[in-house]
Amino acid sequence: MTLQQVIFIILAIAVIGSALFVVTTSNLFRGALMLIVAFFGVAGFYVLLDNGLFAVAQVMIYIGAISILIIFSVMLTRGMQAMIPRNAQAGSVAIAAALLFLILLLAFGPFRLVVDLSGVPILSALFRTESARVLGGVPWQFANREVPETYIADFGRALVDLNQFLLPFLLVAFLVDAVLAGAIYIARQRKPAEVIAEREAIAKEEAEELAALQPQPTAPTLPQGAIASTADH
Amino acid sequence: MGLQNAINGIPLEWYLIVAAALFSIGLYGVLARKNAVAMLMGVELMLNSVNLNLLAFWRYLAPESAAGLAFAAFVFVVAAAETAVGLALIIAVYRSLKSVDPETLTQLKL
Repeated sequence: MTLQQVIFIILAIAVIGSALFVVTTSNLFRGALMLIVAFFGVAGFYVLLDNGLFAVAQVMIYIGAISILIIFSVMLTRGMQAMIPRNAQAGSVAIAAALLFLILLLAFGPFRLVVDLSGVPILSALFRTESARVLGGVPWQFANREVPETYIADFGRALVDLNQFLLPFLLVAFLVDAVLAGAIYIARQRKPAEVIAEREAIAKEEAEELAALQPQPTAPTLPQGAIASTADH
Repeated sequence: MGLQNAINGIPLEWYLIVAAALFSIGLYGVLARKNAVAMLMGVELMLNSVNLNLLAFWRYLAPESAAGLAFAAFVFVVAAAETAVGLALIIAVYRSLKSVDPETLTQLKL
């Protein structure tokens, strides 16, 4: 077993263990911290894949920005900490997720289970005949080449090349622009007068609801019946 | 197992298995959590697993092509955008309803 394989297994255990902790813990703050561990592990995988650029990008974007945002919102919604972490469908969802993992493992793991879809009535119509054997049936064309030295420069040129990714690049730039404006608009602090007016309206509504509910518990049927029975005498 | 196609001694399948596990865990997190912030964490795990798959296929099948890198970069940007808007929405909802449980957000229900 080579050193890289040992590193891979350690990273895999760290990533999957911390991911499991993230989705099961009831302490969301610790979950957010373990999410950082998972992000770091994925950055380690990128290093093993000879892709230093994306390892650094992963650390900068996911750990530097997204994790901080998540930690901030966990702290800003502190009142929700005592909540039950799982909803009613958690059990069936766990089975579904385990089944999904099993299917992916059988199809793309070491077993390469081949499922022939050419005989299945509806699915074979969806795929062309040569790709009807989808799950594990399509052999991969391994390149067996080193990553070129200039892969970062090539990537940068491809992003601004009209024949490659210029249009998606501009669309994504527009998306980020819209997201900046939208996030600020959604989460903006409103003027105190607006907030006070809204709170007064809510308080008034609640008072009305309370007033509407009030007569029912204070007027039980028993005294009326008692009065009626005394009137009979 | 295809060890003759291994890079740094690691076959492609190892990455796929880890990514599949990460995706399933993230899916469970999205569907089973009662807190909107925790659901977003599950989405982040799923996006990470997708990126891991994209970059693993880039490395093993087409290392000289920029397509794998470009798709992974777009996933990065969309993930950041999704988190920013999602958390802004969650904070706004928490401010007005004092709850981040998706099951309490029934204002749009008829």
